[in-house]
Amino acid sequence: MKALPGTWGHVKLLLRKDLVSEWRTKERLSPMVFFVLLVLLVYNFGFELGGAALWEIGPGVLWSSFVFASLFGLQRTFAAESTNDCLDAILVAPVERGALYLAKMLGNVLFLLAVQLLTLPLFGLFFNLTPGLYLLPLLPVFALGSASVASVGTLFAAMAGHSRLREFLLPLLVLPVLIPALISCVAATGVILAARIPGHSPAMWPPELTVHVGMLGLFAVVFTTLAWMLFDFVIEE
Amino acid sequence: MISLPAALASLSMLIAIGAVFLYAPADTPPQMGSTWPYVQRIFYFHVSAALSAGISYVLVFVGSVQYLRTRADRWDRFAGISAELGVLFSAFVLFSGPIWARPIWGVFWRWEPRLTTMLITFTIYVAYLMVRSYGEPGERTQRFAAVVGVIAFVNVPLVHYSINMWAADQQQHPVQVELDPAMQQTKLICYFAFACLYFLLFRLRLQQERQAARLQVLQQASHA
Repeated sequence: MKALPGTWGHVKLLLRKDLVSEWRTKERLSPMVFFVLLVLLVYNFGFELGGAALWEIGPGVLWSSFVFASLFGLQRTFAAESTNDCLDAILVAPVERGALYLAKMLGNVLFLLAVQLLTLPLFGLFFNLTPGLYLLPLLPVFALGSASVASVGTLFAAMAGHSRLREFLLPLLVLPVLIPALISCVAATGVILAARIPGHSPAMWPPELTVHVGMLGLFAVVFTTLAWMLFDFVIEE
Repeated sequence: MISLPAALASLSMLIAIGAVFLYAPADTPPQMGSTWPYVQRIFYFHVSAALSAGISYVLVFVGSVQYLRTRADRWDRFAGISAELGVLFSAFVLFSGPIWARPIWGVFWRWEPRLTTMLITFTIYVAYLMVRSYGEPGERTQRFAAVVGVIAFVNVPLVHYSINMWAADQQQHPVQVELDPAMQQTKLICYFAFACLYFLLFRLRLQQERQAARLQVLQQASHA
């Protein structure tokens, strides 16, 4: 007989289930990517994008469209489980609540990261961003930014269904808590994009980037740990 | 009949107002300009309110953790009332800050780090109150609120640190100056008055909440 999987085994199983279902339906990825495109369009008519504006507002435009799109994605974290009472079935199974949180959180990280990587070319196109290796440090910023959003977002998404505010509740909770992470994301992205300003240091990893990425890492670690600990209290029925 | 805490709060607040406007000297450092002696007096209440707000947020955290540990309704009430007072006093800080800033900096708002931190903290606790007021009344909403109460509190130092980093060139807050003894005394009188007011409001809300809970029990009993 096969041994029962441990916590990590459960995480992997739950994560795989979500990824397979997403792969088959594209229920979250396609609308999120499309939404980022729409936000970029709206910003284009709100500001004069392109040219010199890139250094000024580019990082802010990029991250605010990601954050707004991610709010839609996060709403769906537990939505699929409400059909046929799937969530109850998972809770009845001998699976730790913490494993459920980690699986859902990692799933959200992967979705958000995928959206960011898929929409970066769009952003580059609209902002006349020169493609190049100097963009490589965006990868850890995207990864940690996604982890920050997903850490609190997954926890609060589990609450949202039970409030009369419904889909209002998630943005109201996530946005103010996320501000420290958002500041670091925008600052780090600004530092990376500034490598192309004439006269700026062409260094691949400017020293000030470490501060912002470190801050993001701190945020992601603190809130993932805290949310993982608190998840039991949210989901206990 | 007026209760003792109400009498104490009213009296101490009157004394505080008197001290702020009549007792505290209008000390004018030469670099501060002519409006400074009047405008500066808002700080006695501004700082007292900020202190009250800060204490409230600590109490929300304590109440939330205790609720999650014990599941006792009284800790939930304790956290909820503290959050209401925190939001109330933060709102006062966010009003009095710009009133001071306008004559001194020429603008009402300039994303000064401490005030910005207060604004973000304020929004987090408003969201906390929304979790409470828009949830179905009952144990689940109490749990959710407690979880948000813990997250919100842990976030405060991160907000503070990142805002300071973000606004490194915005550090325009008046530097700590050696306070005149009369100013020092006025400050302490204001702290005391705000403590009395805090206690009074806390007690009033607690009595109200207890009555509401009792009423609910009676209603349920009458329906049964």
